[in-house]
Amino acid sequence: MPNGSSNVRTSRPTAVRAARTVALLALVALIVLFPSLAPDPFILSVGVVILSYAVLATSWNLVGGFTGYISLGHAAYSGLGGYATALLILRTGMDPWLALIAGGLIVAVIAVPVGIASLRVRGASFVIASIALVLIVQLVFQSWHTFTGGSNGLRVPRPFGTEVLRPEQHERFFYLHAVLLALALLTWWLIERSRLGAGLKAIREDEDKAQALGVPTFAYKLTALVVSAFFTALGGGLYALWFGYLDPIFQFSILIGSYMVLMSLLGGVRSLFGPLLGAVVVGYAVEVFKSQYGDTQLHLVATGVLLGLVVLFMPDGVIPALTSALNRRRGAASIREVSAEELANQREETAR
Amino acid sequence: MTGTTGSPTGSVTTRDLTKSFGGVRAIDGASVAFHEGEINALIGPNGSGKTTFFNCVTGMIRPDSGTVTYQGRDVTGLPPHRIARSGIGRSFQLCRIFPRLTVLENMLVAVQPHGLLQRLRGSRNPADVGRARELLARVGIDHLEHAEARDISYGQQKLLELAGVLMGDPRTIMLDEPAGGVNPALVDRIADLVRELNAEGRTFIIVEHNMELVMGLSDHVVVFDRGRPIAQGAPAVVQDDPLVLEAYLGV
Repeated sequence: MPNGSSNVRTSRPTAVRAARTVALLALVALIVLFPSLAPDPFILSVGVVILSYAVLATSWNLVGGFTGYISLGHAAYSGLGGYATALLILRTGMDPWLALIAGGLIVAVIAVPVGIASLRVRGASFVIASIALVLIVQLVFQSWHTFTGGSNGLRVPRPFGTEVLRPEQHERFFYLHAVLLALALLTWWLIERSRLGAGLKAIREDEDKAQALGVPTFAYKLTALVVSAFFTALGGGLYALWFGYLDPIFQFSILIGSYMVLMSLLGGVRSLFGPLLGAVVVGYAVEVFKSQYGDTQLHLVATGVLLGLVVLFMPDGVIPALTSALNRRRGAASIREVSAEELANQREETAR
Repeated sequence: MTGTTGSPTGSVTTRDLTKSFGGVRAIDGASVAFHEGEINALIGPNGSGKTTFFNCVTGMIRPDSGTVTYQGRDVTGLPPHRIARSGIGRSFQLCRIFPRLTVLENMLVAVQPHGLLQRLRGSRNPADVGRARELLARVGIDHLEHAEARDISYGQQKLLELAGVLMGDPRTIMLDEPAGGVNPALVDRIADLVRELNAEGRTFIIVEHNMELVMGLSDHVVVFDRGRPIAQGAPAVVQDDPLVLEAYLGV
């Protein structure tokens, strides 16, 4: 009997792995083919926006999903990434791509003291600290006219020459965002499998218990935040290079940070592709609402309703909800299937 | 096995440990020496400061004054993970596990070696998983390794917590009410495990209300009342101490 159950156990993951590989290949194919499938440049630009959201949400999930520290102010890092990239190009004449990476590194360094200050508090206090951060940065970038352009905004030089037309721009930036998304996903995946990841997930579940088991919780949280800030800044920088214009009100808005949280929660913060799925759903919905109803606030109402539905019916997110439904239908080995008799047999075996 | 009996610098030792919450002195100048290599018990009426004492020793709470030494080393005020690294593992009064991680993942959390590269290593490597399975088998819940910890029974969670503590390979294990809320058969199983692990050279410090278990299991008993020890010694001696009877019966 124990042999039978262990067979089930080993065969299930191979089937799951095969299904996963197929899904992954389909995803890659879809992203690679999207620019040629898109009927017009507008749809392609929507694709870029959605991928940008996906980068931001996946980056957010590096800290939110692993540690359970919900930051509503992650727009601070994306906005700083955008401004750092733009200002490095404008002030130092740096190569745009080098500026993008340097901007990411600068923001990662900034995230260290921010993390040391804010990661001391948990739960709602951390959320409020994260909101305070984005509001402070917004205020600074709005007021410091001489350096940041203030509320007039900042024009970001195009990295590609004028001979590259708009549709071509969109296509290039679509692929650039796809590459960045792939890097962020790969990082999440690598951490998830590591001992660092095991410690981070333990922090999410029960921080004091994790520390009692020897996990250096503060250092781990800080590491996650810095890595997350780095990728978020790259996402913000790449978006700035594509969009070509920065306005402190939009760059450092709580709304952008809330979108990252909503997307991740919708798809599932504990799964690799959760934030990506959430970005596709929410990003698409937001664009549809904007194009249908113009500049009304209706898309905010819709987003709010969506968040309510997710929290009510799929608190773990879509992907975990679907996986567990699938497992239930397949009748995956649950605890109850191991009888007391089997247990006794196993114990006897080990005793022998 | 008695180990190095009576070497007071060996295991956890506190001197004049004090911790107040507002006006309440939860621990009031406690000087206690636990015996290395033995099963030590810490008993006392409710509210006598046992759990606070545990929390001060393991770094969860910083004491107001006094010192905690472990194996001759001052560990007062160190953060909990440093104390865990120095060789003290602990369980919690109301069993604490990581609810949405699987049983196996729960075990692997305790493997946190030094060095960045070691930490970036895959947590599901054969060596760690093998050791985790061995320990799960030892406490008898290896068949549940793929279940999420929140789905297993309370008794199984208690065993999981103990196995998780063992995964960190501590020399000293502090258990806060290991028999609380579990059925008598499981109490026996836990007592057997403690005896076996003690025979392998691990020191235990156990807070427990089940007197039958305490008297049957421990080599050395410390009785707490109002935040300080009022009696210490072998179970038989402590049992008849008038101060202990007074504390428990409130005469």
